[in-house]
Amino acid sequence: MGLIHALRGFIKSFLVVLLWSKCEGRESEFNYVTCGSLVKLLNTRHNVRLHSHDVKYGSGSGQQSVTGVESADDANSYWRIRGKPNGTCQRGVPIQCGQAIRITHMTTGRNLHTHHFSSPLSNNQEVSAFGENGEGDDLDVWKVQCDGSIWERDEAVRFKHVGTDAFLTVTGEQYGHPIRGQREVHGMGTANHNNYWKAMEGVFIQPSQEPLRHNHEEF
Amino acid sequence: MAVKGMNLWSVCCLVLYFVAAVLAGRDFYKILGVSKSASVRDIKKAYRKLALQLHPDRNPDDPTAADKFADLGSAYEVLSDEGKRKQYDAYGEDGLKEGHHGSHSDIFSSFFGDFGFTFGGNRQGQQDRNIPRGNDIVLDLEVTLEEVYSGNFVEVVRNKPVAKEAPGKRKCNCRQEMRTTQLGPGRFQMSQEVVCDECPNIKLVNEERTLEVEIEQGVRDETEYPFIGEGEPHIDGEPGDLRFRIKVMKHPVFERRGDDLYTNVTISLVEALVGFEMDITHLDGHKVHIVRDKITKPGARLWKKGEGLPNFDNNNIRGSLIVSFDVEFPEIQLNDNQKEGVRGILKQASVQKVYNGLQGY
Repeated sequence: MGLIHALRGFIKSFLVVLLWSKCEGRESEFNYVTCGSLVKLLNTRHNVRLHSHDVKYGSGSGQQSVTGVESADDANSYWRIRGKPNGTCQRGVPIQCGQAIRITHMTTGRNLHTHHFSSPLSNNQEVSAFGENGEGDDLDVWKVQCDGSIWERDEAVRFKHVGTDAFLTVTGEQYGHPIRGQREVHGMGTANHNNYWKAMEGVFIQPSQEPLRHNHEEF
Repeated sequence: MAVKGMNLWSVCCLVLYFVAAVLAGRDFYKILGVSKSASVRDIKKAYRKLALQLHPDRNPDDPTAADKFADLGSAYEVLSDEGKRKQYDAYGEDGLKEGHHGSHSDIFSSFFGDFGFTFGGNRQGQQDRNIPRGNDIVLDLEVTLEEVYSGNFVEVVRNKPVAKEAPGKRKCNCRQEMRTTQLGPGRFQMSQEVVCDECPNIKLVNEERTLEVEIEQGVRDETEYPFIGEGEPHIDGEPGDLRFRIKVMKHPVFERRGDDLYTNVTISLVEALVGFEMDITHLDGHKVHIVRDKITKPGARLWKKGEGLPNFDNNNIRGSLIVSFDVEFPEIQLNDNQKEGVRGILKQASVQKVYNGLQGY
């Protein structure tokens, strides 16, 4: 009896050790950003993540503000990649370079949006989060600009707005209270090293198999 | 005497047989409860269901629980890998090469998340509510009606920041405290001061793992599947959870109401009058056969029991498929002869009833 208890205890602690050990699992071979995935987007020049929150701009459109933050563990930096309105974007299918997408803020359900309003710090084009439950308007659509044919996870890409042709950009201006230290995110017409973004943390959905049943026994 | 000898002999044979059976390796298909031709999806589904039942934490009184759980993990590891499964099918467990084995808790957590599993699936921090938790992440997972009908698995790669120990110390549990300082005899001053503890230094490192989300048959809209500990980390505490929220998408052919499916079929006036035969292709490709030899009125409904969606709680129970018919009239003009012909065939007297159709008269 004692032996069995000891064995159980050993196995349990072994399992716990395994739980805590860093598992050197195989590298995931699937390296693309796919439709429906949740990502954090890092501006590679200024090392801040695209972020939004329930704080409205005090000027311009007065809509929900979009900023760049330094922290890597804030759930308010998660954005969902979705197809354009009335477009087909099948879950798990990799996003093509040049594809039109919407970028929806996870916690507030508003879409990354830009329009002809001035940004508060640099007087560039204001970028806001707009809409309800993922539904906004035509100015929510952005095109992914990348080399190659598919948006790869470790590739720095640009986001060009469909409608105003502005690139999603950070040039380093910082806000004060109540969002001290956060950077301004705005739209700019020129493509330069300030508008490169990379997919970092997230939940990347893989393509699924068709759920149709095939009866192998019949063969 | 002879009988006793025979009994001893048969016992010896039995013992030898069992020893051989054990040494020959485990029957992984039997452990998972699946047939030899089971698909990867069937295997994942079986593992997920049994892992919840057989986890040692769920069976603290069973001394063989850890073994059964380990067997289950091994069975899944082999049968879910195409190469390993081929080898196992041909040569048995002994025929498997000594490869890198993922830990059993690793396999379990790809279906349910990290941080162990306590009774009822509650978080381990239940006793101590003071442990701060990182943010939860909720991801809307769009599923098709085909997936609700047949079930499916979605593989997901989770890349998340994980708190790791780093050299040095950091300030933690910072709080405001009131300090009283004496300025002179009988004179004191109260001031607020920020006081911090010292904690081991933490840095955030990105780690990646694969998670398996099951779309269970008959799953209802807005159902959530949590993965414990796969949310955002908290520097001073535990990570939050990752929850997948099922969103069932609209379908061009079928409408779901509970476990029932509704669909519409347009037939021609001729078919409505003389009858017809047709097939409706269902969500998994099988055909639902419909035969009518009587007159079918516009708005008529046909109930096909058992052709709806499987019930979420009991997959063997199915709802019904309700087919509503509407009639398309031909785009022709009848001449006088044809009009006479129609009157003759149908022999229906003139009706011309006038009534309020919007108030149920």
